[in-house]
Amino acid sequence: MIEPVALADFFMSFFTAALIILTAVVYVALYTWAEVKHKRLVKYASWFVYAALIGCVLLFSRIMHLNGYWQILSVLMALGYWWMPRLILRLCVATHEEDAG
Amino acid sequence: MSSQAINSSVSKVIRPLSMDKLNGGQKLAVHYFTVAMILFMAQLLFGLLAGMQYLMPDFLYNTLDFNVNRMVHINAMIVWMLYGFIGSIYWFLEDESGVEIVGLKWGKIAFWVLTVAVTIVVLVYLLVQTGSGTKSSIWLINEGREYIEAPRWADIGIVAVVLVFFYNVAATFSKGKWSGIAGVLTLDLVALAGLYIAGMFYTTNISVDQYWWWWVIHLWVEATWEVLVGCIMAWSLMTLLGVRRKIVQTWLYIEVALMFGSGILGLGHHYFWIGTPEYWLTIGGFFSALEPIPLVAMVVHSIYDSGVHHFKTRNHPAFAWIIAHAFGNFFGAGVWGFMHTLPQINLYTHGTQWTASHGHLAFFGAYATINIAFFYLAVQKMRGDCWMGGNMPDNGWKWKAAMVLLNLGVVGMTVALLIAGYEQSFIERAVEGSTWGGYFAAQSHPWFIQAMVWRMVFGVMTFIGGILLFWDLLTIGKYEPRPAVGVSQ
Amino acid sequence: MNENRPVWASESFWKKVAVWVTAGSFVILIFLTFDSISQITAGGSRVAAYTVINKKVTYRFDKTKNRYQPVILDQDEPLFGQMLDEKQAYELVNLGKLTIQAKNCMNCHTLLGNGAYYAPDLTKAWLDQGWGTAASREMLMLQFLQNPGKYARTYGTNRKMPQLGITEKEAKGIIAYLKWMSTIDTNGFPNNFTAIDAEED
Repeated sequence: MIEPVALADFFMSFFTAALIILTAVVYVALYTWAEVKHKRLVKYASWFVYAALIGCVLLFSRIMHLNGYWQILSVLMALGYWWMPRLILRLCVATHEEDAG
Repeated sequence: MSSQAINSSVSKVIRPLSMDKLNGGQKLAVHYFTVAMILFMAQLLFGLLAGMQYLMPDFLYNTLDFNVNRMVHINAMIVWMLYGFIGSIYWFLEDESGVEIVGLKWGKIAFWVLTVAVTIVVLVYLLVQTGSGTKSSIWLINEGREYIEAPRWADIGIVAVVLVFFYNVAATFSKGKWSGIAGVLTLDLVALAGLYIAGMFYTTNISVDQYWWWWVIHLWVEATWEVLVGCIMAWSLMTLLGVRRKIVQTWLYIEVALMFGSGILGLGHHYFWIGTPEYWLTIGGFFSALEPIPLVAMVVHSIYDSGVHHFKTRNHPAFAWIIAHAFGNFFGAGVWGFMHTLPQINLYTHGTQWTASHGHLAFFGAYATINIAFFYLAVQKMRGDCWMGGNMPDNGWKWKAAMVLLNLGVVGMTVALLIAGYEQSFIERAVEGSTWGGYFAAQSHPWFIQAMVWRMVFGVMTFIGGILLFWDLLTIGKYEPRPAVGVSQ
Repeated sequence: MNENRPVWASESFWKKVAVWVTAGSFVILIFLTFDSISQITAGGSRVAAYTVINKKVTYRFDKTKNRYQPVILDQDEPLFGQMLDEKQAYELVNLGKLTIQAKNCMNCHTLLGNGAYYAPDLTKAWLDQGWGTAASREMLMLQFLQNPGKYARTYGTNRKMPQLGITEKEAKGIIAYLKWMSTIDTNGFPNNFTAIDAEED
């Protein structure tokens, strides 16, 4: 069912896992900031960080031996971190609508 | 507003720490907060003793052994956090429902019953420690199951007290107005009490034992407690920052959906290695990967809010602790959790200092911070709603120093334990295959020993921070002439 | 009062989502719980019956499963030289469990990896090479549990188990418990563990 991490990949397994969460949050933060303040440069920066996130997810998936149906997890992470902030931000705007009016 | 405060900007006024302006629930809350702080100090003290024994195994050997110190350390934590939560809810119950608490008298009795019970349990832990291999030991001395060691008689007492608390909450909301917060809170308390009962039986089979044991531990800490904190935060946002109820409640529901949606089946990440079927590897792995979603939502929302609104807070210490909560929760639960949650790596990290590292930061970040924030809110009101913004009389050095020491101390311990855990999982688990020889080889490694020294150093720092915090809570606002400025946007 | 919030951003919508997500997750959990409990009941497919303590047991790498797996050999190895029937075996193992709880073992040791980290994991303690040979094991364990200070096994760390007043009967129960526990199928945890008599097989 699972193929454990190889001894040689020990450090990288933790490192990439931590980086996934960290880059994800930086990406999410930059994305939101760019949208709220309409900053083009920040938006490009967020794409850059997202690319780094994808890199981490790929490396992580290889180290963790996410083969077979475990690949769904990799895809979920890649898509999820892209779409989640968009959905949440739309929700923020929509739920706060009365405030603006 | 206190007129005394305005008139005497020259002569030194003393604001008493008084319960006069508190409503009935708030008075009871102060009792809960006081015991919570005492238990917090006990947690820190016994943590120090246990940590010391890693460095000096003969320290208190056969007098106050590691198992006793560690049991008091983690039990005090669970209980002080619960005291904090219960207190916080009593604090806002009358404001939120619009009526006086129904059956407050019973609530007071329950508080004393619980506190006396906790005292007896701790005394028995310390003085009797262990019993013979009989059921009566489990009923009277110690159940011997991590986190829920309290003997069975105390379990029953705890459930009885929680039922009184539940009655206070449900009956008060029923009499006054039901809100979204009230609904979520009431249902969450039912779950909280119900889950505790899942841990109240004896079984020979350890797989079955641990299966239900995790229902209590995980579904408390990673589901119902989080929602409880969500309710407390929701109320705080409305009253302190003036956020509109409709918005707060919508987001409370969103949070409940995200937390329970990822957290309930996230239980699976504890079912990898206890005898339970292989499908839990998949379920646990997938749902653990979903657990950062609520954190993502929080980041988006807070940046959105800070960009769109301009909140001013009238309680800087509380606000600072809420920020510490956001960071602590993110790193402790998010980063530290995800690093060792998938079975592919958890096979090696399970049951090592990794767990201790994650546990320290996650409990502190998610729960200790929020309770401390609430203590500051309570103290502000007890000092007659005094100013707690910038430029405090003594520059607020105590709360700032306590904040720095506590946070730095916990982060330092977490990093030290992370290094120890990394080394242990590598040498003991992966290379040596978890034999006793492998265990002790890992414990004797210089990385491990040095990590334990640093853990001790940061533990002492945390302890000093705790003392300062206690002192500050007793004195902050005492010489503050200015009243607090009202809620503003 | 009527706002221009879309349905998917309304309070009532999310209230329903919260209720359905919670209820749905819980129903799935209940369903899985029935299935899991049936498999981990003693004598079930993953957790051996208590009479397993009459048998020789070990832990090996399983090539088809690609992980370690407890093995119950078709060879008698009665504990303390005495074959036990179902009831006797249960009583002995049960005494072990009661003692393990009453002595608060879990706040130093881990069992199945859960507990504290001050002392070794006990999941495969019965099969640990630290006992030397299978022949000497029972005696050593019995001595150690009753007098852990004198027969300390600290591997140079000086970290000794405290004197917990464990009686001979209780010690036998604990040993039976450890033997039974070592046969639980823990999905390959711990990995890479070499059992005490691995060479003999």
